[in-house]
Amino acid sequence: MQADPVFQLFEQVEFILIAGIVIVLAYLALEHKEIVYAAFFFGFMASIVAGFFLLLEAPFIAGMQIAVYTGGISALIIFGVLLLPRAQDSSLETFPSGRKRKIGLLLSGFVAAISATLALLFPWAESFDEIVVDMSQDLGALAEWLWVENSIYVQMIAIIMITSLIGAVALLKMDKAEQMGSIQGEFGIEAEVEIEDEPEPEPESVDEEPEPEATEEEDA
Amino acid sequence: MVPLSWYLVVAFILIGLGAYGMMVKRNLIRILIGAEIMGNGVNIALVAFALYSPTFNLTAQGLIILVISVAAAHTALALVLMLMYNRRYDTVDLGRPVDREVA
Repeated sequence: MQADPVFQLFEQVEFILIAGIVIVLAYLALEHKEIVYAAFFFGFMASIVAGFFLLLEAPFIAGMQIAVYTGGISALIIFGVLLLPRAQDSSLETFPSGRKRKIGLLLSGFVAAISATLALLFPWAESFDEIVVDMSQDLGALAEWLWVENSIYVQMIAIIMITSLIGAVALLKMDKAEQMGSIQGEFGIEAEVEIEDEPEPEPESVDEEPEPEATEEEDA
Repeated sequence: MVPLSWYLVVAFILIGLGAYGMMVKRNLIRILIGAEIMGNGVNIALVAFALYSPTFNLTAQGLIILVISVAAAHTALALVLMLMYNRRYDTVDLGRPVDREVA
C-alpha cells in the first residue's frame, strides 16, 4: 500500500497541510493579543498535532494527545486565565525595549539550531535507514513494556508526579492559611504577635466605670 | 511516504517557537503555552524516530505516554506557581518585580 505513488502523494499533501496549520496555530498561540484566544489556539494546535500521530500510525498516542493536551492542559490554561484576570492585560504583550526581543529571538533560533544539529548530524542519526517499520498497535505489548520491563521508571515518575501535585496543593493551602492568619505559635507569623498586643488597653477603661455604681447600691 | 527529515523539521520549528515564547514573553501564561508547544515538538520527534527504528518502536510509545502524563502534572504545578506569584507580586508580568528592584 505504501508503494502506491498516489497514496504517497496524498500522505505528503496531508502532512504539509497539518504542518502548516500546526505552525500557524502555534504562532497565533504565542502572538495573539487576547490571551483567551491564545489558549484556544493552543488547544486547537494540540488536537491537530494528533494528526501527525495518526500519520505516524500511532492512534493510541493520538487519542491520548487529544484527551490530555486538548481536554486537560488547554482547559487548565483557560482556568489559569480565568483565575488570573491580570493575565488578560494586553500591555504585557508590548516590549519596553526591542533589544530583549532580539536577544530572545536569537536565543530561540540557537536552541532550534542546536537541537537540529544534535538530531541530524550526530553519528546515531545514521542508524536510522529511512526504512519504515510497522508501528506496534498491540496495547498488551505496550502494557508489558510499561509495567513489566520498565515498571521501576513508571513508579519513579508516579512518585514524582504525586509529590509535585501534593506539593502544589500544600503550597496553595500554606499561602492561603498565611493570608488568613490561622498559623500561629512558635513557628507562626511574627506579625500576628503585634496584632494581638494592640487591643489590650480597651477593656481596662470599660471595667473601671461600673465599680463606683456597685458601692452606691451597697450604701443604700 | 513522508521522510523522517520532514517530521524533524516540523518538530524543530515547534521547539524553536516554544523557546521563543519562553524567552521573549513576559506573561506567565504565555510562557507556559510556549513550554507546552516545545513539549509537542519533542513528542512529534520521538514518534517519528519510532516509525523509522525497529528497536525504538515500543520504547517511544511508552516514553510518550509517560511524557504526556508528566506534562499534565507539570502544567498543574505551573498553574499553582503562577497563582502564588500573582498573590505575592500582584502581577503576572515576569519582568516587573526585577524592574521594581532595579528602580
